[in-house]
Amino acid sequence: MNSANPTSGHLDPEPLIAGNQTFRSVTERVCSIVEAKTPPIWFIAIGLAGSLAILLFGLIGYLVWEGIGIWGVNIPVGWGWAIVNFVFWVGIGHAGTLISAILFLFRQRWRTSINRFAEAMTLFAVICALIFPSIHVGRIWAAYWMFPVPNQMSMWPNFRSPLLWDVFAVSTYFTVSALFWYVGLIPDLATLRDRAKTKLRKIVFGLLSLGWRGGNRQWKHYELAYLLLAGLSTPLVLSVHSVVSTDFAVSILPGWHTTIFPPYFVAGAIFSGFAMVMTLGIIARRIFRLEDFITVKHLDKMSKIMLVTGMMVGYAYACEFFIAWYSGNIYEQFTFMNRAFGPYAWAYWIMVTCNVVVPQLFWFRKVRSSILALFAMSILVNIGMWFERFVIVASSLSRDFLPSSWDYYSPTIYDVGIFVGSFGLFLTLFLLFIRFLPMIAMSEVKGVLPQANPHYHQPAGTHGGSR
Amino acid sequence: MSEKDLTTGARYWRSLDELARSPEFERFLQGEFPQVHDEKSAGVSRRKFMSLMGASLAFAGLAGCRRPVEKIIPYVTQPEEITVGVPDVYATTMPFGLESFGLLVECHEGRPTKIEGNPAHPSTLGGSNSIIQASMLGLYDPDRSKRVLQNGAERTWDGFVLFWRELRVNFAATGGEGLVVLSPSFASPTLARLRQQVLSEFPNARWLGYDPISRDNSYQLRLGSNTADSRLIPTYDFSMASVILALDSDFLYTEPDSIRNSLAFADGRRVSSPAYEMNRLYAVESSYTLTGANADHRLQMKSASVGLFAIALLSELRSRGLNVKIPEIVYNHRRYEDNEWLRAVASDLLAHRGRSLVIAGNNQPAWVHAVATAINDALGNIGSTVSFVEPADAFLPRQSDLSAWIGDRSGADSTNTLVILGGNPVFDAPADLRSDEILKKFSHSIHISQHVDETSILCEWHIPETHFLEGWGDACTIDGAASLIQPMIEPLYGGHSVFELANLIATGRDERGYDIVRQTWQTRWGLPDFEKKWRDALRDGVIQEAANVRLEFVPDVNSLSSLIENGLQQHPSGDGIEIAFRTSPSLYDGRFANNAWLQELPDPITKLAWDNAAVISPASAAKLGVENEDVIEIESAGQRVELPIWIVPGTADDSIALTFGYGRTASGSVGNNVGSNVYSLRRTSGLGFASRVAVSKTGRKHELANTQDHGSMEGRPIVREATLDEFNRNPRFAKEMVEHPPLESLWKDHEYDEGYQWGMTVDLNACIGCGACTTACQSENNIMVVGKDQVRRGREMHWIRVDRYFSGSADSPQIVHQPVACQHCETAPCEQVCPVAATVHDREGLNVMVYNRCIGTRYCSNNCPYKVRRFNFFNYISKMPETIKMAQNPDVTVRSRGVMEKCTYCVQRISASKMKAKQEHRTVGGDEVVTACQQACPTKAIQFGNIRDAASRVAGLKASDRNYELLAELNVRPRTSYLAKIRNPNPALEKSVNGSSD
Repeated sequence: MNSANPTSGHLDPEPLIAGNQTFRSVTERVCSIVEAKTPPIWFIAIGLAGSLAILLFGLIGYLVWEGIGIWGVNIPVGWGWAIVNFVFWVGIGHAGTLISAILFLFRQRWRTSINRFAEAMTLFAVICALIFPSIHVGRIWAAYWMFPVPNQMSMWPNFRSPLLWDVFAVSTYFTVSALFWYVGLIPDLATLRDRAKTKLRKIVFGLLSLGWRGGNRQWKHYELAYLLLAGLSTPLVLSVHSVVSTDFAVSILPGWHTTIFPPYFVAGAIFSGFAMVMTLGIIARRIFRLEDFITVKHLDKMSKIMLVTGMMVGYAYACEFFIAWYSGNIYEQFTFMNRAFGPYAWAYWIMVTCNVVVPQLFWFRKVRSSILALFAMSILVNIGMWFERFVIVASSLSRDFLPSSWDYYSPTIYDVGIFVGSFGLFLTLFLLFIRFLPMIAMSEVKGVLPQANPHYHQPAGTHGGSR
Repeated sequence: MSEKDLTTGARYWRSLDELARSPEFERFLQGEFPQVHDEKSAGVSRRKFMSLMGASLAFAGLAGCRRPVEKIIPYVTQPEEITVGVPDVYATTMPFGLESFGLLVECHEGRPTKIEGNPAHPSTLGGSNSIIQASMLGLYDPDRSKRVLQNGAERTWDGFVLFWRELRVNFAATGGEGLVVLSPSFASPTLARLRQQVLSEFPNARWLGYDPISRDNSYQLRLGSNTADSRLIPTYDFSMASVILALDSDFLYTEPDSIRNSLAFADGRRVSSPAYEMNRLYAVESSYTLTGANADHRLQMKSASVGLFAIALLSELRSRGLNVKIPEIVYNHRRYEDNEWLRAVASDLLAHRGRSLVIAGNNQPAWVHAVATAINDALGNIGSTVSFVEPADAFLPRQSDLSAWIGDRSGADSTNTLVILGGNPVFDAPADLRSDEILKKFSHSIHISQHVDETSILCEWHIPETHFLEGWGDACTIDGAASLIQPMIEPLYGGHSVFELANLIATGRDERGYDIVRQTWQTRWGLPDFEKKWRDALRDGVIQEAANVRLEFVPDVNSLSSLIENGLQQHPSGDGIEIAFRTSPSLYDGRFANNAWLQELPDPITKLAWDNAAVISPASAAKLGVENEDVIEIESAGQRVELPIWIVPGTADDSIALTFGYGRTASGSVGNNVGSNVYSLRRTSGLGFASRVAVSKTGRKHELANTQDHGSMEGRPIVREATLDEFNRNPRFAKEMVEHPPLESLWKDHEYDEGYQWGMTVDLNACIGCGACTTACQSENNIMVVGKDQVRRGREMHWIRVDRYFSGSADSPQIVHQPVACQHCETAPCEQVCPVAATVHDREGLNVMVYNRCIGTRYCSNNCPYKVRRFNFFNYISKMPETIKMAQNPDVTVRSRGVMEKCTYCVQRISASKMKAKQEHRTVGGDEVVTACQQACPTKAIQFGNIRDAASRVAGLKASDRNYELLAELNVRPRTSYLAKIRNPNPALEKSVNGSSD
């Protein structure tokens, strides 16, 4: 793709793609994952993940049948794990589009190895996220009233409600992310179509690749479209979690009613999204031997982003305390003291440890290059980010203005089951994705290979090649 | 043909439905309508109810031309004066031991749905309490007894009548030798007449009384030594009292005449401006009661020490020169340490002679009542704040008579027949009475009750009793204000009233309650005016003319001194751990155990629902090494009971408060096995409290359902409180307790400057925290009962809750109560966040909830700073029995699963008033709309009305200095505001007792 001279390693001592790859080897390496015989481990994995997904749908069925009461929510804690999970999954859904769009606009070429599955992860995370707001309402069969559907009552939704903004923000984000992902897939789908050996594959990939031939004009239009979509997605990355944060920030509840929430939530979302990309990337590169494509260098760069966003989150935590003290508002002050030392202190300190303390290890190059350490830390960060949402939702609601209504919230097995089940759904979708679609963007990776540069000269003694 | 002929001799039938009671007709019905018969076993379904009512109507015509027809029937042709859809209100009376509550009952097409106090009746004065409110649910209880039983086998009433007539022949011959009637105390002209009739018919018969919760300690005083059988009952006039000392007395709630007393007490506390003469209440008690919670000064001590305190006070007053008639010898027993508190009370009492009142609790032995009487006498209070009456139509049993009789009979086996006219002695008798053993000694036993309860199971005959809304009767107060019990509905499950059974016992005639009661009043009034007086009595709900004569009672010094001296000698030393028995604020003595509204009503002090607990002080808990919900075993006189612990600051150390009424085993599906029965720890020697009990830990936990986990206000200005002195110095203290920036809006707000603008005030100085509002709201607004598990999860549905906060030190805290319902904020935070606009504002300032539109995001509740919204987490309504659906208010939508609900300011009542006004071409008056909570409130602490009408009560109160809005700093502009609480501490004690407040 178009870029400055990346050739001989003066500016960039380590190549983005290791293993001295050629165009042919890239295609072979990536397509073989999709085309080879399904490994038994995949069946085991999807069996497990699928069972959890079935658990999810079974529990949703029971929820619809019986009512929200099967959860642990009460008055005053009207929102529990469902909303925590929603924000958690939406947060995870941030990394993909950030990597695809913002890093694209900033010409961060290392993104190419990870953007495809990060985008897929985004989509699946948003699908998981969308489940929760729709099932957490008391009358699920009437949830569509949140959409501005023309009706005989001339009854519109309440445009002042942040929940309505959520509906628009998340659905827009999902639509644009899906489009973006699909547009990026088209050249690779065409590659798969061209390599297809069975009739079915030919037809399916033929249809999906929308007649892509790889011609010059097509590339020109394609790249423009990609750029436009990237431009369109960029504000969405920032807006969607900002809007999600208004669910809290617009209310008057101490601990929710905070203007810092939009940037704080976006930073946290990127933080958790990158952690999830890292978790999945480390697993994928190991299982499918993609170490050449997802190199330690990629992981290093992601670590740095996590370090930055982690510190932003940490700053937000500190800032909330400062403002609570500075405002002189007794309710605000109580809420934050209660977070750190009240009945939910255990959750708060898990959050602080995972989100503020653990990322400090990213300062060390040794840690950033230790796959095992990164894997463990990426999981800890997501645990921490889940607890962040839990702390915000539960601890603020459980103790608000009038002490008479204070109550402790604890989840039931149905809360836990539905959350675990949502991981099942997420992993099922992800496993289907890596089985049937190229998880590395071949066309883009090829663009960052040295061979892609017009001034490229094949070093002596090696055999470069084209497709 | 006269009535007499009909009820004796050959059996004629007047109407087919009378015939329908016969077994043949039952069989015919079973063959003809099998489904009807099947439904019978599952309680009365709506279908069955309708068909019976229809049949009653059809057959009513056959009853001939007698008027008035007793039947209460649905309408096929519209009767005169009744508009379908517009409720009718009738007066009636709820008998309640020696008390009776004059009521107005709202009926929708012959179906009673709501009970209110009768403003004309002196016992309620328009107010009510939770027990009155919830008796509506009791009427429709599907677990009520439906059949006459003999040794568990189904019989008919007619079968029982024949049985009794045969038995009666023998008793007539022997003058009733072996016939024993056991009844609770009562105050009723008709029952009193029937009792006399039984005793004159059967001179050898005995009529004994037993009440588990009795006030017999208060009527041990005699007029003089020669009038041995006269029983004098004190009545109190709190409106005359400036200084009140309550000696372990809960006169505000669980003790007699509480509605009248609490209103008079609250009237002395509606501080409107500086220099207001406010009464002052001192309370001495072992565990917190509502009276203690409302006291200006409270001293906690073991119940056993309260009497010694009283003696010490008497002595102190005497040493300060008061003319106390009790001779010197009594004071030698004085064992109470003299202290500053005692001296301050003494000074205050001395300064208010004739305007003070010392009241002893019914748990305290008779001698403490005698001491209180002696103090009142010496202070010149008798005749002003205390009067004694000798009630004419009341049955005032003495516990000692019953014990003595049982003592005589314990060895004998010649006893013949026991008739138990109500009550449940097998459940609630003290352990040493061995009521179940005694029952076995009778060859025949007959028990009338609404449920097949613990006593019914052990009796030979069980007669289903009618609810007071189903049968005719009469009752009177201790003061003698008589009123008629007018039924509102045909007995749902058959059944007969106590009046009918007593009449049968006395005369052998099977007469109807209507005729029995009329006989009483015909005798009293004479014929010429009878019909008019009868109709007036039914219409007004009270018969004024019969008031008892208040006696100028001069205490007989000798009997007082001997009572005190004997009592003191037998008084337990008070060492070790003490148990003190408390009347349940909701279940009373246990009779309401199957009433789900009352089970779910949180205790005003502990905020526990669906259980009783052993209430102890934090220090005692630490000493025993227990915490909340730990189960302990209490052993007293060989009886053991296990109870979970609940720690309440302000309980006297080494004193355990135990609540009666729980642990029923045969109350019905709601009340069975809820809590523990503490009657078994009770002995006749210590009915109020017992010392030296053994307590041990069991190591187990019992989960308790508590509606308020947190008792501290955390220093927040929620209940704003000051002393009278502080108020006098700064009347606007409540408004100045919160500093906030100007409350401005970013946009132009709605003005709310036209039409009606509804608003409410709650006077925290009048509110005693009883919870009548909660139950009244539950009845009016069809609020679901959710059960213990859901309450534990924080899902109770009450639209108005009464918050209870502790303040001051943990050793001797103060308690404040605050009712909180939807505040109807003008800028309601809930409205803005609802995505589907299901909660919106109307132009009259109501925050309205559109159930049909609600999808249940619960965001409104999260954003409500008062947390008054309630969510239907499950389809609670689906578990409601068919009969209880009949208790529902047809004017209020029933909510289904998944929708939010909350206080509507009784919008259905507002609409009804507006419709009425429109028909009458006028506007609704400022005070015309009365919400259910306001109407039920015994102390009139809640006022509601049009705040734009400057002449309305609510507008006047909102203009008062004490008025403040809760959380006004959030700029939500609530329409409900509170009037700050004022306490009136004794300046001499202020530092030591109230030092930490504000």
